[in-house]
Amino acid sequence: MDEVWKDLSLSSLHHHSISTINNATANTHHAFRSTLLQDFLARPSNMDPLRTGTSTADPSSAGAATPFASPLPPPPTLLSLNSLPDFHCIDDTDPMKPHSHFHNNATAATPYMYPPFNVLAAASPAFPSFRKKRPRGSDDNSGDRRHKRLIKNRESAARSRARKQAYTNELELEVAHLIEENARLKRLQQKFCPEASAQLPKKHTLYRTSTAPF
Amino acid sequence: MPRERDPLVVGRVVGDVLDPFLRSITLRVTYNNREVANGCEFRPSQLVSQPRVDIGGDDLRTFYTLVMVDPDAPSPSNPNLREYLHWLVTDIPATTGANFGQEIVCYESPRPTAGIHRFVFVLFRQLGRQTVYAPGWRQNFNTRDFAELYNLGLPVAAVYFNCQREGGSGGRRS
Repeated sequence: MDEVWKDLSLSSLHHHSISTINNATANTHHAFRSTLLQDFLARPSNMDPLRTGTSTADPSSAGAATPFASPLPPPPTLLSLNSLPDFHCIDDTDPMKPHSHFHNNATAATPYMYPPFNVLAAASPAFPSFRKKRPRGSDDNSGDRRHKRLIKNRESAARSRARKQAYTNELELEVAHLIEENARLKRLQQKFCPEASAQLPKKHTLYRTSTAPF
Repeated sequence: MPRERDPLVVGRVVGDVLDPFLRSITLRVTYNNREVANGCEFRPSQLVSQPRVDIGGDDLRTFYTLVMVDPDAPSPSNPNLREYLHWLVTDIPATTGANFGQEIVCYESPRPTAGIHRFVFVLFRQLGRQTVYAPGWRQNFNTRDFAELYNLGLPVAAVYFNCQREGGSGGRRS
């Protein structure tokens, strides 16, 4: 199973490094995904994701400018065979806390536990504690799969909550605006047309009126 | 800690696509007489033709750039094509609309296949009329980098909506 991973990941890694080179428009710190990949492979010993615990504040809802405080971005959890190993930050998650098990807030998305396996294979002496537990056996595979599914489900749930909350907030803002506008318009009407505003529509049934005069 | 209220932040648009910014220009996006409000949902069939975009401001000599991206391509749980560029219009004079600008990348109608995607409209103020080059491809566009490359600074307005495939059943159960 490991060889399958290695084969796939190496080829798609190659793919990815090509595509990152092609994609580099302005390779600023924001394109950290490509720089980090190259850095990662170039200097595995310098990158110490174990230090993430120190510098990371909770970036979740303040929209703070530095969700990427740690040198290692939260890698994607999706380890499926058809995806590129990519360091896109899928969600503004808490950076990995090395020794915590799926540290999970009610509102924040969960951190990713597994760096892509190809990276692990390449740089494993630097990240000993990332190996979650023991070497993989067949029963561990299903445990891993369950884990992955769990993480994915958690993220999906977090996205769903965020979506719902954002929609609700927007509605509340709109309601507030509309109430304000309504009050303003009523005031205007009161000012310019005092007798008309005092008059409420009397009947809500159909009745004859005269149409436009000719 | 006060609860965050801004839908753009709660919906992670600020974060995934944009840096925190202050709205200063009105941006109204309308698909078939239905205005886009943050976080509302549209079906792909409602998004086939490009929307009507009206921007505010006051000086016709100020120009704006409009970007429309999908940060959840191809799927929100695996957005390895983030961000997918759907539309890019530059040199839009203030108080007018997108059809007064220069369409650098033509409108591509959203057709999400997996998951519920966010589609974000971002408005930037230009320093002057400028030449903007279309990127070579739509995927893996980076709005932040683009803004930096063309000296656009922080956004002046943004709005986003959700969309899933036509027969999709995710999202709000009403």
